[in-house]
Amino acid sequence: MAAVLEAIALRKAYGDVVALHGLDLRIEAGEVFCLLGANGAGKTTTIQLFLGFIAPTSGSARILDLDVATHALETKRHIAYIPENVMLYPNLTGLENLEFFTTLAGRKDLGAKALADTLLRAGLSVEAAGRRVGTYSKGMRQKVGIAMAMAKGARALLLDEPTSGLDPKGSNEFSRLLETMSADGVGILMATHDIFRSKEIGTRVGIMKHGVLVACMATRDLSHADLERIYLEHMHD
Amino acid sequence: MRDGRFRLAGTLVLLLLLAALVFGWRQAAAVQQERTAAQAIARAAWTSQGDKNPHIAAHYGMYVFKPSGTLAFLDPGADPYLGVTLKLQAHEQELPQDSAAQDATAIDRFGQLSAAAVLQLLVPLLIIALGFAMWSGERERGTLRLLAATGVKPPRLLAGKVLGLTVALALLLLPAVALAAVTLVAGVESGAGLRLAALVPVYTAYFGVVVAVTLVASALAPSSRAALVALVGFWCATALIVPRAASDLAARVVPLPTTAQLTETVHEAIAKGLPGQPREDRIETLSKALLKRHGFEGAETMMDDALLQGIELQAEADFENEVFDHHLGALMARMDRQEQVAQWAAALSPFLAIRSLSMALAGTDFAHHRAFQHQAEAFRRGLVQAMNDDFAKNAGAAGWDYKANRKLWQQAKPFSFQVPGVAWVLAEQRVAAGMLALWLLAATAAAVWAARRMRVT
Repeated sequence: MAAVLEAIALRKAYGDVVALHGLDLRIEAGEVFCLLGANGAGKTTTIQLFLGFIAPTSGSARILDLDVATHALETKRHIAYIPENVMLYPNLTGLENLEFFTTLAGRKDLGAKALADTLLRAGLSVEAAGRRVGTYSKGMRQKVGIAMAMAKGARALLLDEPTSGLDPKGSNEFSRLLETMSADGVGILMATHDIFRSKEIGTRVGIMKHGVLVACMATRDLSHADLERIYLEHMHD
Repeated sequence: MRDGRFRLAGTLVLLLLLAALVFGWRQAAAVQQERTAAQAIARAAWTSQGDKNPHIAAHYGMYVFKPSGTLAFLDPGADPYLGVTLKLQAHEQELPQDSAAQDATAIDRFGQLSAAAVLQLLVPLLIIALGFAMWSGERERGTLRLLAATGVKPPRLLAGKVLGLTVALALLLLPAVALAAVTLVAGVESGAGLRLAALVPVYTAYFGVVVAVTLVASALAPSSRAALVALVGFWCATALIVPRAASDLAARVVPLPTTAQLTETVHEAIAKGLPGQPREDRIETLSKALLKRHGFEGAETMMDDALLQGIELQAEADFENEVFDHHLGALMARMDRQEQVAQWAAALSPFLAIRSLSMALAGTDFAHHRAFQHQAEAFRRGLVQAMNDDFAKNAGAAGWDYKANRKLWQQAKPFSFQVPGVAWVLAEQRVAAGMLALWLLAATAAAVWAARRMRVT
């Protein structure tokens, strides 16, 4: 079976500066891969390459065996993206935002009821869904992002530090949502700084440094302390 | 629509537009009334001039007035700069006066506050204000990343943006179009409805160009602020600088003689004849031709003096007409070429294209003025000829003492200006129309291209 997300010798250079050195990575359906690393290590570059926002210098990023560079629009049908800050249209309500983005994603078949249910599953009350997004907290906007992924029926989820700045309760709720999606067979790639969450919800953890994936391990073999020690060892030199 | 700034700016422009329409309409109605009244007075002066020799009557002459077109209230165009009165009389074709119209900068037109100035200059600014951040703002807010991640085709997003702007503009302009249409229901001039119908797609195309250019700048500029600066620069260049430069260029490439020079040249040619054709020789030739036409060839000795006199007067008039045709024809050709330069300059400025098309369709451009002059001149020649013919036929032994009366004066039909049709206007404006179409195509293509290749983050 094809990997949901696959990087093959994926490389990105800006002139002399190499942001990503030949990354090889496979993420299967239902996997949660957490990418750790300092700022500028290449985590965001990796995610943007999967999204096709930037073009690779060489190698390829593939989604369900389709090359992102050559199938830019087709691959996007299968993925959802949640940035550090899900930015929505503040003058529209949560429900209207969801409807707008879902329609653009090609799911015109979903009625208002189905969309409201999706928001409810993502943890937004009916009352909140009818309010303008301008009044939302960050956690609420991230939930709309998850709802967008659910409504779209995404097979892969790309997350770029989605929980930074969330309070522990919000962060915890968000993790529960990711677990639900993972259980539904969605492959998840999440860039994060949160070692604790990585161990908790990740099936695998990768550590990136200067554009190289220096370590890659399954979380069930590790304790939280082990992971932190390994991470800091890599950051030291 | 939930944005307060749009409502404020939009309402202001709408109010300005409606004010311009109402005042323009009232002024145009007043002007038209004055001209109709003046025309009636001039006609009365002609028919009640008393008994006199018909050639003397031709000297006495008649004033004619250019009717202001029904659509002049939309776009006064060059009318304020051009004369509306012509004195028609024997031996004289009124010479065109130097006109400042083409030298006028776009800024001058703010002073008039015509509907055309609002549509051509202010509405583009409104479009820029509404649209400059349409792409760059989404990029800055971060919503563009989410949009891109949905997998929607960029041209579809672009279509959405265009639709949004169009709806906003339509809300604004439809009341004005409706008002203009309602005022026209009472319109008397045939063809005005057709002209208004032609103005709608022309202005739509112009706004389309501005919308597309705005979206190109918004997609490609590094920031919303840069997009706004670039767009205001574009507006200044196309609405202010290029038109000014184009009229200077036209004057330089195709210089026109001053009125004084022209008067001198024409009067000299009338006194001496055109080059290679001395006056007396030419008049003799023309007079022979007239005799032949009337069947008097070789019978001069048997004709009475008055008949000969009448024919000679007409031969002289024919000669003068040849001189006018020669010199004024050349001048008109030069003016035509100047306007062609201005129309071609629309390659650099869509504003020039819409200005030219709008004036022409409103019937207030130079070409309409020349059509008026042309018809008035033909009318003058017919009138002079009718007077000379009457002299030749009826004077008999009385000669110069012969007097015609009111009956003859009334036989001369009053002058009425036949407004040219829309097809004629479009033929005159083919370069401007072509340029506007090219702008629309190029700007649309650029907007699609920019939407495809724009940075997401």
